[in-house]
Amino acid sequence: MQLAKFNTYLIEKGGLTQDDLAKIEPFIKAKKIVKGDFLLKQGDICSHFFFVEQGLLRLYALNEDGKENILQFATENWIVSDRGSVYFKEPSSYYIDAFEDTLVVFIDEDFIDKVSQVNPNFRKKNERLLQNHIRHLYKRISQLLGVSARIRYLDFVKMHPDIMLRVPQWMIASYLGITPESLSRVRKSLAEENFKA
Amino acid sequence: MKTRSIEKVSKPGTPHFVGDGFRVHNFIPGTSTMQRMDPFIMLDYNSKYNFPPTTTPKGVGVHPHRGFETVTIAYKGRVEHGDSAGGGGVIAEGDVQWMTAASGILHKEFHETEWSKTGGEFQMVQLWVNLPAKDKMSAPKYQAIANKAIVKVALENGAGEVEVVAGEYNGVKGAAATFSPVNMYNVKLKKGAKTTLTFPEHYTTALLMVEGDAKINGATDAPQDHFVMFNNEGDTFTVEALTDTVILVLSGEPLNEPIAAHGPFVMNHQEELITAFNDFNTGKFGYLED
Repeated sequence: MQLAKFNTYLIEKGGLTQDDLAKIEPFIKAKKIVKGDFLLKQGDICSHFFFVEQGLLRLYALNEDGKENILQFATENWIVSDRGSVYFKEPSSYYIDAFEDTLVVFIDEDFIDKVSQVNPNFRKKNERLLQNHIRHLYKRISQLLGVSARIRYLDFVKMHPDIMLRVPQWMIASYLGITPESLSRVRKSLAEENFKA
Repeated sequence: MKTRSIEKVSKPGTPHFVGDGFRVHNFIPGTSTMQRMDPFIMLDYNSKYNFPPTTTPKGVGVHPHRGFETVTIAYKGRVEHGDSAGGGGVIAEGDVQWMTAASGILHKEFHETEWSKTGGEFQMVQLWVNLPAKDKMSAPKYQAIANKAIVKVALENGAGEVEVVAGEYNGVKGAAATFSPVNMYNVKLKKGAKTTLTFPEHYTTALLMVEGDAKINGATDAPQDHFVMFNNEGDTFTVEALTDTVILVLSGEPLNEPIAAHGPFVMNHQEELITAFNDFNTGKFGYLED
């Protein structure tokens, strides 16, 4: 299975060398997930982090009315999981499913340990990625609490430039914590300002 | 005059749906590559398929294009479309819509509302023709070409006729204006009729068997719904109709420019693709209600 993106990720973000890669290759587990299939359901204990080699996963919760609240999209090179469930072995409150046919690399604690044995710097690099993730979450909370729909949208598409072409608008509105109508208004007002016929 | 040889004849592969209204077999780039088929960079063929009646028209919602032209040829059924520049209309049977997306347009395409109510047999081609680098950021435009505006050249001895959609056939000019030399015909042959076609050797040349079966160069079978790709060797080929046939003939001069493609954007370089996504996300393609 070709995992060019995951290998590049391990080299660029994890500080591994080509030799390191060769040593850990036997431990890399990847699988194709069909659109609509679940990697995690509410009540299950999540045992892996999921790296997206190709495709699109989403992490969401269902509210009391059955409405999906999307916490995260994971496109190529992104990792998604329920960290709480992985580390504290507690039943998850979330779902992770594939919105496109997706090639997923399954990462667990064993794998992290193996990579860290091969290259001791990896643990530090991995911690930096975790800190970056937390930084991103703070920003997201702060935006949900008090930033305009327009700025939320613009920051989001900067992070995921092709997402508008891959998922329906209502999902993006759900992620941004706004109504689909509000997202339409944002996009319309941007077009009115920027479109030159 | 030298016989143009055949590279391969491809049967229609497993179909997939574009939106919920177009059930297509992809021939370009599916059976080769964009570079090989230059200037034809995408060809989706909706072979005859029966859509049941519905009051909710099926189709494809709002999506952008930049850097090329989309050519929609309706063989069976009717499609209505609208775009962010205020354009719109209906493509009826026999019509061709030649849309120059160029610097960028948002559009949507659905089965026509009235047609949807009765449903029926649907057969379409959507072809993307690449634009030369110098024209990729020109203003978008439409050529809505009604069937009656397409010149039809009768073949000798009642063998059939050639609809000249674009380019030139025996000195007769086609209805569509193009940015680079492109010939596009619907060749309609009666059973048993034979004709020859000649294009410059270096032109990328292919046939789509829209209706009926034929024999090419006296030797190779080209059954219905198959795609015939020619080598760039020789200039002339013969087509002999084994049944009444309709053949879409494509022959265009390669642009020989770099191609950077991602989804609905086809540019020359990666940076231009990033700009295309940014422009799309920030409203520079305009706005169109779903």
